[in-house]
Amino acid sequence: MASHKFDVAIVGTGPGGYVAAIRCAQLGLTVGVVEDDRPGGVCLNWGCIPTKALLRNAEVVSLLGRAAEFGIRLSGFEVNYAEAVQRSRRVADRMAKGVEFLFRKNKIALFPGRGTLTSKNVVEVKGTSGVETLEARAVILATGSEPKSLPGVAIDEKTVISSTGAVRNERAPKSLAIIGAGAVGVEFADVYAAYGVQVTLLEALPRIVPLEDEEVAKELTRTFTRRGITVKTGVKVASAKPGGPGLVVETDDGKLEVEQVLMAVGRAAKVTGLGLEAVGVQLERGFVKVSPLMETSVKGLYAIGDMAGAPLLAHKAMAEGVVAAESIAGRAPRPLDYGNIPSCTYCRPQIASIGSSEARAREQGRDVTVGKFPFTASGKAVALGETEGFIKVVADKATGELLGVHIVGPEATEIIHEFAVGRTLEATLEEIIHTIHAHPTLSEAALEATLAALGQAIHI
Amino acid sequence: MAVTKVVMPKLSEAMESGKIIKWLKKEGDRIQGGDILAEVETDKADVEMEAFGGGVLRKILAPAGETVPVGVLIGVIAEPGDDVAALIASAPAPAPARAGAPALAVAAPSTPAPTPTASPRPPAVAPGPMRPSPVTSAPAAAVAAQPSGGRVKASPLAKKIAAQTGVDLRLLQGSGPGGRIVRRDVETAGAAPAAMRAVPDAEFEDRPLSQMRAAIARQMPLSKAPVPHFYVTNEVAMDRAWELREELNALEGQPKISLNDLVIRACALALLQHPGVNASFRGDAIRVFHRAHIGIAVALEEGLITPVLRDCHAKSLAQIAVESRDLAERARVRKLRAQELSGATFSISNLGMFDVAEFSAIINPPEGAILAVGSVRRVPVVDEAGLGVGRRMALTISCDHRVMDGAMGARFLQDVKRLLEEPLRLLV
Repeated sequence: MASHKFDVAIVGTGPGGYVAAIRCAQLGLTVGVVEDDRPGGVCLNWGCIPTKALLRNAEVVSLLGRAAEFGIRLSGFEVNYAEAVQRSRRVADRMAKGVEFLFRKNKIALFPGRGTLTSKNVVEVKGTSGVETLEARAVILATGSEPKSLPGVAIDEKTVISSTGAVRNERAPKSLAIIGAGAVGVEFADVYAAYGVQVTLLEALPRIVPLEDEEVAKELTRTFTRRGITVKTGVKVASAKPGGPGLVVETDDGKLEVEQVLMAVGRAAKVTGLGLEAVGVQLERGFVKVSPLMETSVKGLYAIGDMAGAPLLAHKAMAEGVVAAESIAGRAPRPLDYGNIPSCTYCRPQIASIGSSEARAREQGRDVTVGKFPFTASGKAVALGETEGFIKVVADKATGELLGVHIVGPEATEIIHEFAVGRTLEATLEEIIHTIHAHPTLSEAALEATLAALGQAIHI
Repeated sequence: MAVTKVVMPKLSEAMESGKIIKWLKKEGDRIQGGDILAEVETDKADVEMEAFGGGVLRKILAPAGETVPVGVLIGVIAEPGDDVAALIASAPAPAPARAGAPALAVAAPSTPAPTPTASPRPPAVAPGPMRPSPVTSAPAAAVAAQPSGGRVKASPLAKKIAAQTGVDLRLLQGSGPGGRIVRRDVETAGAAPAAMRAVPDAEFEDRPLSQMRAAIARQMPLSKAPVPHFYVTNEVAMDRAWELREELNALEGQPKISLNDLVIRACALALLQHPGVNASFRGDAIRVFHRAHIGIAVALEEGLITPVLRDCHAKSLAQIAVESRDLAERARVRKLRAQELSGATFSISNLGMFDVAEFSAIINPPEGAILAVGSVRRVPVVDEAGLGVGRRMALTISCDHRVMDGAMGARFLQDVKRLLEEPLRLLV
């Protein structure tokens, strides 16, 4: 049994793990990483990146459908979902190779196989070529998360699929029920609907994208419904059993016959089979309990990313990876500001938000002022033919503090960052309005929404 | 080209040393005469230091943060070809004042060494070896409180909250990047109840003297002990002045007039009538001034400062109002120019805003007198009509007995009183 010594061993090479590894290497530490799939984790291989590729396909399909609007006459066109999935696999492969390159460049040793802690500083790797051990002065756990299901609905990745199955599945069903209308649910609803699948979106809570501002949810419901997606909220699913074209979904609102079901009710931390109990790592509500500097209850053992708690976002994992690495290297990193993490959903229109929703700000007793600007009043949006949605700025009335920003509309996920920077620098409404925004851009809507919060919007 | 010695300039009457806040030019920069070389903190203000000759700034001898006696070489400007090695080598490390600098008999070396504001930084972590269990749970190293006089580094939000809650940002330690004051610092400071803030663990603390406090401590005994003070107080009926001021301030497009502006104007006019009060004791003579340059005491957090409003006798009430406000505002942000800090022939100290019945002030040598102004208070008064309510203000003049006698001070004060009680005289 081969044994290796490193300064740091990292289990999992998703966005948390690979970023932590590179940062450790930059800080002069030797690093060994363990991965039982391809480097890049769910994000690069089965999540963020391949779904973005599929969503781009969906966008192109829908633009082709709108060709006449732009004065282009097509004598019909064919779409092939299998080729869309194949393209998305190529994109994922390319990005995963990129991570492998970064490992080589930073002299990070990759150990394919499944890692288990045998003590707080020894990771045992069971790979195809036998068992190896990594002994390290600090260990970072970054094993991520996996799709959850509901009681009464078992994921088999054939008729009941998860997001992981969905990005692999080259055949689009005729009809699909998506259970859960969070980011994953609405993104797949968008993709499948563009390829002609009859999609029913089922959400137990009173509205879709329940973590987003209420007005944003309303706007998305409106455009989804117009595109032929059936949106059912406040619906609880009891079971999904074989029958009809594939499955019969029983809900408290009646039965639904579909070819496939996509489970998108959330993700659970991967914390089993890692030897956590043996070394005494404490859990909290299914996640590993960590300090602000990402250390677990066991000294020298760190946990980052999805397994270390909400929000389950790749960019949060990356930032935590940097904190863990710098903390191990004896730096004094700044802990994450968990209240200032942008949240992005890539359906069309896109959704992006940061900070508190209007309702939440009011619940917290803030005296708020709200500014809203619709993309219908943005010259750039009209020129693009993408006028759905709006930007909504929620600020403290007395100080102009940016409490939250909620965007639904074209390139929302890109526009959000000026507010992220603003909030990091503790800018107020005034600093945003004193920043000249180029014309014509979608970002002008950010300026206008900010002006609107002060009652000074120009273009509406 | 000639070699230009850059020495710590004497930027005010009482200045003995100055602290380099920062150099605005660096070694190797080309300098033209008149360029601003550095910012210097004196006992009274932060002042910009000009270059008196051109060339290349070849050497900086006193780095930012260092306190240097007046006249000491702090830099050398010369052409690249000029040999300045000898000059630099000859520069005495902390030298006494240059010979020939006047009025520097006071021993200078008492100036404290560079101010001990260095922050208690955590020990640097040795590079390379890692620490598997870092103890750094604090988000950032503590950084010393903001240097007084310099720009306060604070986020826009922190500034707004501070302004709204009355927190003085200069007293805070920033916990943001590079010591930047962020929202939580202000909120923590604002939330700490006054009682808690007032009762720290330690029995007491020794606060190092600011340059300004040190100057006041040095100067005042030089006034109070050697200058034989006497005091004359009277009471002024301010009813008409009050009404006049309200009428003037109701006029559109006119500068707002403060009560102190009325007092300044009254004193300026009275000083012309009583040149003996506008005078200075010179040992073998009494210097009587023909112009009224009036020092106006401005209270600051760390002490007080007396910028000088020149030629008050020749200025209208409106001019006085505009200029005195400007001086006071710039005094608060310590942006006064050197020439605005010296040359007063008379001073006024007004504590009216603090609900003060009356007080007496200490003369600012070499001036011969200072007027202390109390609050305008509503008091019962008896006149021909019987008992009524009137606005009254106490004036107390402190006079240098070597320059004048009681009667002279009293006559001056009587005139000031008459001008304020018949305030239309202030307008003509």
